Amino acid sequence: MSSLSHCAAILPPVPGQEGTIMSERAREAPATLRVFRYRAGDDQIRTIVGPAEPCLPEADLAVYAAEAVAGSAFMSHTVAQRDDASADDLCFVPRGNSCDILNIHTNGRRPRHSDQRRSLVDILGNLAGAVACGSLIVLDDAELATERCAGTRLLGLGIEDTAALAQAREAAGAALTDCGVHGLLRQRTVLAVSEAATNILLHGGGRGHITLRRLDDRLRFIVADQGAGLGFLNWSSMPAAASANSMGYGFKIILDYLDAVGLHSGPSGTTLILDRRTD
Amino acid sequence: MLQTTTAPGPAPTIYLVGEMDLDCADLLREAVADAARGAEMVVLDFDRVEFIDSSGTGIFVRICLDMKSQGTPLMARRLSPAVRGIFDMLRVRDLVGEEVFCD
Repeated sequence: MSSLSHCAAILPPVPGQEGTIMSERAREAPATLRVFRYRAGDDQIRTIVGPAEPCLPEADLAVYAAEAVAGSAFMSHTVAQRDDASADDLCFVPRGNSCDILNIHTNGRRPRHSDQRRSLVDILGNLAGAVACGSLIVLDDAELATERCAGTRLLGLGIEDTAALAQAREAAGAALTDCGVHGLLRQRTVLAVSEAATNILLHGGGRGHITLRRLDDRLRFIVADQGAGLGFLNWSSMPAAASANSMGYGFKIILDYLDAVGLHSGPSGTTLILDRRTD
Repeated sequence: MLQTTTAPGPAPTIYLVGEMDLDCADLLREAVADAARGAEMVVLDFDRVEFIDSSGTGIFVRICLDMKSQGTPLMARRLSPAVRGIFDMLRVRDLVGEEVFCD
């Protein structure tokens, strides 16, 4: 595993691009996740999650990513825009010969939002740490296509209203019992599945699907929606200020309580692959 | 599914039975609102809550903060292991105040 030496830097705005980027981003959500991937050798930057408009030129991203890969070092940077209304926090996470670049873009940043923004930086650090440890795997289209067909399909369940949440928990619990998963691990897995199903209703367009699959060494829950993507302000808003009945910690619970989580997010929706080892 | 039973009095107690998730929001709000009429405080008993997730926790926190601002505090007692685990993980005591918890 990569060493977790940590450095931070405030980088200057991208010359000549501030005005264009700001006007195009004015209608964006307050905070969005973007993930880019670099592979040593071809020096290409590919967009895995979010819009294909990195906050730094791709050549610059490639230089930082190459540095992270060469040193097996986890690096973080902040990119401030000139008008201080938006910012990007970046983590470079080396994974062998490649590097995942996680970026939370905050739009409409104001001083009174400083506490909230610090929370987002913490979230980015948690995500990057999970990627570094292999407990979170950001999937591109090809990887998703492979992973969601692996193993044997056990059952599928539509999630269209709150009544389906209990059905999802019941199905998950029964499958876990059949696979010999009991006690605290069973409880935590059922909770994580419930959180993922709830995310479909609250943040995933209100409609989605859960598929259970059995692999040789694990039980897999594939949770897919057709929503607009991940809203990371939900992670840091207090309940009194949040617009929905959510603590916003659902994804944190999912990450903490499962053996591995795959994440794919794009314009057509978000898919989570939740794995509980059974061996 | 969540079920509620209310024991009336100056400090009515609402006994919660079952699962607390996004589905329980309206039921819990209505039960607390009914119990709060003319009451000095309202007590929620979590002893028979078998499951709670972050949405169920968020609903409790929201109602708790609303009741505090309205002058009829909400108290929580006898947290089941499932509830205690999630409340601890999500640091609910920091959000609503230690005084909310009777035990």
